[in-house]
Amino acid sequence: MAASALGWALRAARQVLPSPCAGQVRGYYVDWRMLRDVKRRKLAYEYADERLRINAIRKNTILPRELQEVADKEIAALPRDSCPVRIRNRCILTSRPRGVKRRWRLSRIVFRHFADHAQMSGIQRAMW
Amino acid sequence: STSSVLSTEKDESTPSRDTTTEVASKGQESTAETPKQKLIDIIGTMKVEVSYRNKQLKAREVKKQGTNKLEGPESEGATLQKATEDVQRGKPINPELLEAASAVASSLPLNKKQTVSELLAQLRRHEETTDRQKKGGTINIRNVISEMSIKRQSPAQRGVRISSRISLELDEDGQRIKPGRLSAQSSDSRSLKVGRRLNIFTKASTETENAPKTESPPTIWDLEFAKEVAAVTAQPPRNGFEEMIQWTKEGILWEFPIDNEAGMEDDAEFHEHIFLEKHLEGFPKQGPIRHFMELVICGLSKNPYLSVKQKIEHIEWFQKYFEEKKEFLQEM
Repeated sequence: MAASALGWALRAARQVLPSPCAGQVRGYYVDWRMLRDVKRRKLAYEYADERLRINAIRKNTILPRELQEVADKEIAALPRDSCPVRIRNRCILTSRPRGVKRRWRLSRIVFRHFADHAQMSGIQRAMW
Repeated sequence: STSSVLSTEKDESTPSRDTTTEVASKGQESTAETPKQKLIDIIGTMKVEVSYRNKQLKAREVKKQGTNKLEGPESEGATLQKATEDVQRGKPINPELLEAASAVASSLPLNKKQTVSELLAQLRRHEETTDRQKKGGTINIRNVISEMSIKRQSPAQRGVRISSRISLELDEDGQRIKPGRLSAQSSDSRSLKVGRRLNIFTKASTETENAPKTESPPTIWDLEFAKEVAAVTAQPPRNGFEEMIQWTKEGILWEFPIDNEAGMEDDAEFHEHIFLEKHLEGFPKQGPIRHFMELVICGLSKNPYLSVKQKIEHIEWFQKYFEEKKEFLQEM
């Protein structure tokens, strides 16, 4: 009860979007895990170039090893969320981490729900 | 007509010129004072000039004789004034007329000068009205018609015109292609910008309309107002089409037909992408670093997804990095 009240008070993760349209806008992510995933994606995008360059120095047989060790330390010093490996392709509607089809970014349950209600374009029940 | 009057009066003997000139000048001043009269005179001169050009030598001769006679007695300033006035008016005010008027006035028992001035005024008005009535209409029409020329439409041209009107060519959207606008400005022979200026309107000085704004950056209130206006005018979309339009404006929806190079404006030539060795000037010419950078350049030149700027940024970052590590490298 208290936990739910707290949850309600803090709400779900929110993004402040100045919405120009007058209709209903979803201003919240499904849950905190989704928010963290969003943060990771943003950071990964920011540090992508640097990581690429430092890795190019590291994965090398030409440059001296000392230089590569220095590069190792540098890349470890970058924020942890900046590496793309930590990104998880979650379902965009339910934030389910598993069973997500990449093409639709939906988990299998949501996909099935929409497909049965004929709201997925070009999807038909298989029968052969 | 005035010309005949002038020819007959040439032979008359000239009485005392000074009085007549004085009176004449006074008379002219009294008449010329009214601005309306001045305007009428100006218009009269314009028309009279044209008429004199078109007419024969008689008028010119008369004018010349009139000016000559005027130039004769150049004793007083009044005469010069009168001469200038006359020359301006374009009509020789007829010293003969003045003589006649003065003679008539002298014959009458009343105040001479007044009668002479009144007579002259009346005469002038009469002359002007007659002139205008006689030549005004004809001159105008003549002016206009002289510049116009009858255009003969050849049957071929007519056919073209008719066919251009009934053009059944359809665009892709199903709209008719316009038959190449007949520009209102230059239609065949005549154009609006050719011809003599009439000088009817005075050129209004173009007012500097808030040329420099007092506050160069828009104030916060202006921005707020603009935002309010935008919020009020942005009505929710009435149908799916408007929704899609809105999305396209925001950038959520792509523009159709899809342009593969939308947002990608790489104006650089291929040689800027491939030959990147000129950016390697900051690096040492020998050693492993050079070897490494050459490999980097080779990889970048094969990359079609990066713009030239991005490639240069990569190389510059490496340059900075290796400069920072120089001391470290030299220790080794």
